[in-house]
Amino acid sequence: MIEVKHLTKTYGDHCAVDDLSFTVEDGQIYGFLGPNGAGKSTTMNIMTGYLAPTSGDVIINGHDILEEPEEAKRTIGYLPEIPPVYTDMTVAEYLRFCAELKKVPRAERKDAVRNAIDELELGEVKNRLIRNLSKGFRQRVGFAQAIIANPETLILDEPTVGLDPKQIIEIRRLIRRLGEKHTVILSSHILSEVSEVCDQVLIINHGKFVACDSPDHLATSEQKQKGSILHVTAQGAKQDVLAALRSVVQVRESDLAEDEEGNTVATIRVPGGSDIRGRVSQALFAKNCVVLSMSVEKASLENIFLELTGSGNGAASVDGDTKKSVGKMASDLVHDELGIQSYTEEGAADDEERAAEDAASEETADASDGVRQNADSIHAQLSGNEKEETSGDVTDGEDKK
Amino acid sequence: MGAIYKKELKSYFTNMSGAVVIAVMLLVTGLMFRTYNMYYGTLTLHYTISGSWLAFLIVVPILSMRVFAEEKKQRTDQLWMTAPVKLPEVVLGKYLAMVTVYAIPCAVVCIYPLVMLKFGDESLKWDYCCIFGFFLIGAAYLAIGMFISSCTESAIISAILSLLFVLMTQLMSNIFNFISSTTFSSLVFLVVLAAIVGLLVYYMTKNFYVSLGVFGALAVICIIAYKVKSSWFDGRSESIMRIFDFNTHLSDITNGSLSISNLLFFISYIVIGIILTVQSIQKRRWS
Repeated sequence: MIEVKHLTKTYGDHCAVDDLSFTVEDGQIYGFLGPNGAGKSTTMNIMTGYLAPTSGDVIINGHDILEEPEEAKRTIGYLPEIPPVYTDMTVAEYLRFCAELKKVPRAERKDAVRNAIDELELGEVKNRLIRNLSKGFRQRVGFAQAIIANPETLILDEPTVGLDPKQIIEIRRLIRRLGEKHTVILSSHILSEVSEVCDQVLIINHGKFVACDSPDHLATSEQKQKGSILHVTAQGAKQDVLAALRSVVQVRESDLAEDEEGNTVATIRVPGGSDIRGRVSQALFAKNCVVLSMSVEKASLENIFLELTGSGNGAASVDGDTKKSVGKMASDLVHDELGIQSYTEEGAADDEERAAEDAASEETADASDGVRQNADSIHAQLSGNEKEETSGDVTDGEDKK
Repeated sequence: MGAIYKKELKSYFTNMSGAVVIAVMLLVTGLMFRTYNMYYGTLTLHYTISGSWLAFLIVVPILSMRVFAEEKKQRTDQLWMTAPVKLPEVVLGKYLAMVTVYAIPCAVVCIYPLVMLKFGDESLKWDYCCIFGFFLIGAAYLAIGMFISSCTESAIISAILSLLFVLMTQLMSNIFNFISSTTFSSLVFLVVLAAIVGLLVYYMTKNFYVSLGVFGALAVICIIAYKVKSSWFDGRSESIMRIFDFNTHLSDITNGSLSISNLLFFISYIVIGIILTVQSIQKRRWS
């Protein structure tokens, strides 16, 4: 268990971490979320004893990091933002050095190194100089270093940065597997990664604690406040679809559009958390409109994240401003468009369909899930930029305060 | 400590620096040996060792410049600062690795007196006393070089500063011949020293008023002391500069006097260098 109590770190006038307190329970995977400069890396550096806090305590598995640094550090493995590798050593040499440095008993060192090499699939490069390795491999060597002494707690600062999609999936799987026996804290700016891998999400902003909860729980409460969004694609005239939808839920004409194949695409905001898919489908069927696709967009972690950190001081404020919600709606549309685009680009749409059909085979579903996650992350990044622009335009700088 | 020591020692020989250090040392001592002992037929290693300080100008920067500066730059210091090792162990491990590399050419120099035995009677005690003094002064330089490296992120700056340190401490006995040793000039010297301390305080705290206060207080104390007891200032600048006079202590040893004061001089430099290095790395945590 890790307890962080009233942690503060100031650099001159700049306050990087401001009275941050939280507790990390054993055996869970925590995602540490926050925009750039929120103090994630600083907090992790303090938790691992690299930096000293200006005030506050960090207690790692019962040992204060400042008073009993050795005992505390023995129970953690840390992968910093930049993997701390010596470029003039080979991978195997480096890992042997790390095992000795981390006080792995002499008799177990060989096994520890072999294990770490196997876990991170470094076998093919183990005799190469780290200097000659790509960024992804260096990242994996850094990861191997963190797990080599089999610590109770793993602290990983952006563990999947610089890896290719396949490696990202493997690393996520590894993190989940490690999460069964270890406590894992990872920071990331890829939200889909956090929602996929983590049991708990911890959001900080400007060095202050914002929220800590499971992703599902965060999503549910967000959905209750904001409602969900239903995407429907139907074959049929726009008017028919509009009439059918209006019989079920409030729809504006502007919510409907036509795609290039002449189908009608509707994006409807459904207040509350209720599921109206069945009723919508029946209504459309009654009007002889064939439903081609229908999906509910759950409040994504991205939305929650923007909601919690975007509005200035990071307080979880519920904003009922109509202007803002229109802006959000528009931005959601953009987001959706980009989403489709990126799926097509990645060829992931096929995978997704296949996964839907072939739900019995867990392996396939898992793999496509990974690809989907990756596409997700790309579109999260793409739409992140777009979103700011759009909402900025529509809300007339409402967000800029 | 063992892990760091082994790793450092190995890295000195995977890159060129270890080989360069050994080559330069052997070249310089070998040339001196040939000139003084073989050619002029001097009886002991006295002149050979005194002249070999030139090697430190290259050896000390090469061995010490990267030791902490590079780790800070590459952020590899995060590895051992978050590992269950004590910081003094890391510093000692690195220091001992440097000293080990430096000890290899010193061990080779130990053969020189045996060569001279072929040509007649040789005072082996005197010779090995010279070599021991030479080893000790090198170890002291490496400790200071390590401290300089821990203060900066740039290996180049660290190399230049440690080179300047070697140069200054070797030429110190020549420098204070130029400085007048009257009581008033000693006062001026001490006030300049106070200004340097003030600048250092400013560099560390970035607080203008505190550093000005430190400088002012020190200067005022000096001036009051000067008014009260000016005789104390007689030759004071020289005695302060002697703190940095490595050359005189080395020549004492090469003259055959391995006195406690000479030993303590170099050993205290080694200890101070190691302690300052630990402190300078600890300071990073808090800044």
